[in-house]
Amino acid sequence: MSARTAITVNRDRDEVQRLWSEPGTRPDHIADLDATVTFKEAPGDRGTEIHVDLGPGGRLDAVTKRFTGADPLAKVKDDLRRFKQLVETGEISRSDSTPEGERAERKLGQRPAQPLDDSELQKAGVA
Amino acid sequence: MRANVWSGRNTVQVENVPDPKVLNERDAIVKISSTAICGSDLHLYDGYIPTMKRGDILGHEFMGEVVETGRRVEKLTVGDRVVVPFPIACGNCWSCKHELYSLCENSNPNAGIAEKLFGHPTCGIFGYSHITGGYAGGQAEYARVPFADVGPFKIEDDLTDEQVLFLSDIFPTGYMGADFCDIKGGESIAVFGAGPVGQFAIASAVMLGAEQVIAIDQYDYRLAMARNKAGATDIVDFSKDADIVEQLKLLTGGRGPDAVIDAVGMEAAHGHGALHAADRVKQATRSETDRGHALRDAILACRPGGIVSIIGVYGGLMDKFPMGALMNKGLTIRTGQCHVHRYIKPLYERVRNGDIDPSFVVTHRLGLDLAPDAYETFKHKQDECVKVVLKP
Amino acid sequence: MPTPPRPIDSTLHGVTDYTAGTLLITAFPKLAGIEGTRSAGQIRRAGAIHAAYSTITDYPLGIVKLIPYKAHLAIDAIGALSLAATPFVTGQWKKGRDQWLPHVGLCLFELASLALSDPTQKGDFHGDVDTVRRANMEDPHQKIHNGGPALATARA
Repeated sequence: MSARTAITVNRDRDEVQRLWSEPGTRPDHIADLDATVTFKEAPGDRGTEIHVDLGPGGRLDAVTKRFTGADPLAKVKDDLRRFKQLVETGEISRSDSTPEGERAERKLGQRPAQPLDDSELQKAGVA
Repeated sequence: MRANVWSGRNTVQVENVPDPKVLNERDAIVKISSTAICGSDLHLYDGYIPTMKRGDILGHEFMGEVVETGRRVEKLTVGDRVVVPFPIACGNCWSCKHELYSLCENSNPNAGIAEKLFGHPTCGIFGYSHITGGYAGGQAEYARVPFADVGPFKIEDDLTDEQVLFLSDIFPTGYMGADFCDIKGGESIAVFGAGPVGQFAIASAVMLGAEQVIAIDQYDYRLAMARNKAGATDIVDFSKDADIVEQLKLLTGGRGPDAVIDAVGMEAAHGHGALHAADRVKQATRSETDRGHALRDAILACRPGGIVSIIGVYGGLMDKFPMGALMNKGLTIRTGQCHVHRYIKPLYERVRNGDIDPSFVVTHRLGLDLAPDAYETFKHKQDECVKVVLKP
Repeated sequence: MPTPPRPIDSTLHGVTDYTAGTLLITAFPKLAGIEGTRSAGQIRRAGAIHAAYSTITDYPLGIVKLIPYKAHLAIDAIGALSLAATPFVTGQWKKGRDQWLPHVGLCLFELASLALSDPTQKGDFHGDVDTVRRANMEDPHQKIHNGGPALATARA
C-alpha cells in the first residue's frame, strides 16, 4: 500500500530544489524517512510540484499509526506545508492554538485560541 | 487583557487572558478601539461550527492602533490607525497573487483539519474555530495580526471608527455579493436576508447601478432599514406571506430577479412548516449541518440564466438541494468567503467621497463587558438590533 | 462539550401530540400488525389519553389552557414509561415480540422527542435586554427610521 502526497510551491524549480537541502528550510522529517522525492514543474505560472512517495508499507502499520495521530503521511504533509510556508512567506504560520505551527499530533486536544502566557511561550519555544 | 471567549453553546464570557505577543517577524500587535459582532459569530455561538474550544477568543471585525511590530514589518509603524481584514493572507502564494485572499494557502496552521472537511484547506481567519487555524479573535483589548504588511489597512483621515470598521468584513462581503451579480445597469436583484451583510449587499447593488433591489426578511425593522437607509426599492416580508418565489415573480413582472444574493447562510429561519421542522431536528442531531431554505428559495426564484451569489456562510452539508432547478435553468453560482483585501481600498475611497456612510447599520454600541447580553440581544433580534459595535 | 439544542418548540410539540395521538388510535395497530390483540387496545387508549390531555394543556395548540406545559412534558414521560412497562406487568410479553415491542418502541420515540423539546417556551433566550438598552450609546429606532438614506444620490 503505497503512500504518496504532493504539494505545489510558488517558486521556480531550481530555487525549490536548492532550498530543499538548505539547513534553514530543509524538511527534517521527510529527509529522515526512506522516501522518494521528485520535483516537477507545475503547469502555467503555478510554480513547482513536489512529490513524496513513502513506498509500499505494511498495511497494519499505516492503520494503527492513523489512529495514534502519527500517520506517517500526515507528518509528511505537515513538513511539506511548513516548507511551502517558509519558502513563500519566510516564516511558519503560527496561531495561538498552534504556536509551533502545524503538527499532526496536535490536531485533537489543541489549546484554546487565546494568547499564551510567558511559561507557555517558553514551552512552545517561541520566546 | 479582557477578552470575550466562547464558553460552550449559547455562552460567551468576558475574561482575563494574557496579552498577545509577536510570534513571527511579520506580526503586529493592534490595540483595539472598536470591534463588532458578526452574524457568522452566531453560528459559533449556537454551536454549529465544530472544533471550538472553551476559551477561544471570538471576533473577526476589528480595528485600532498598531502598538508593536515584528522585525520584518515594513509598511506599518507604531501609532498607525488600521482596519484589519478578517481573512489572514500571506500575500505570496498563488492564491494571494491572484487576489483570492480568502483562499490563502499558507495562513492556516490547522490545514489538516480543514482539508478533511473541505478537501483542501482555506485561509486562516481571526476568531473562527480551529478549522480556520485557531487564531485568537478581536473581541478583546489587543490582537496579534500575522502578515501585518499584507492585511491591515491604514486609515489616515478623520472618519469615525464606525464609518470604517465595516471595511474589515461586512461591507466588502456585501459588496462582493453584488459584484458577483455582474451588474451593468438596470437589473433586478433580490437580496435574501436584511441583516448587516444584506444591508451592504443592497446598498452595493444600488451603487453599482441595479434598477430594482428587493430586500427579503421577516423582521419589520430590518426591512425598514433596508428601505430607509440601504436603498432597497421593494421589500418582501415573508412572515406575512411565506411564498417568496411567487412574490419575487410578481415584483419582476413574472421574469424573476436577474440575480439573487444569499446573505443568510446556514441558519436560515424561514421554512415551509414541515420541511423547516425536519431541518431543525436534523440540524439538532447533526445529521444535516446546514439549513437551506433561503438558498433553495433563491435558486427557485432566480430567473433562468441568472446568477446565484452566495455570501451567507455555510459550514457542512445540506439536504434537499435543488440541483435540478440549478442545472435546468442554467444558473451560475458565485460564492466564497470575501476577498476583503481586494475591495478594501476602493470601498474606503467611496466612504471618503461620501458615496456611502457605513455607520448606518449600527444600532447598538456597548462596552466589551456587555458582550454576553449583546450576543443574546443580537441573536434573538431584540430591541431592533441590527449591528452591535463593542468598545473594549 | 456544548449541550445539544432543543429545536422542538411548544407549537411543534403540539403538532406531534395530536398527530401521534390520532395515529395511535387509528392506523398504528394495523400497521404494527397487532390488530385485535390486547396491545391494540392498550396503544389506542394511550393515544386517546395523550390527545386528551393535550387539549387541556397551556400551550399554543391547547383548547382549554389548564395544565402547565412543563407538567404536560412530565406526563408525556411518565405515560411513555408506563406504556413500555405495561406488557411486562401484565405478563403478555411472553406471548411474543409483537406484544411488547410496539410499546417499547413508542416509549423510546416519545423520550427522544422529549429530549429535543424545549420546555421553557421562550427558546433559549437568556439575555438582559434592559441592561443593553440602558447602556446603549445609540438609539436603534432613530437609527432605523430617522435621517436620510446612507447612500448619496450619485450612482457608480
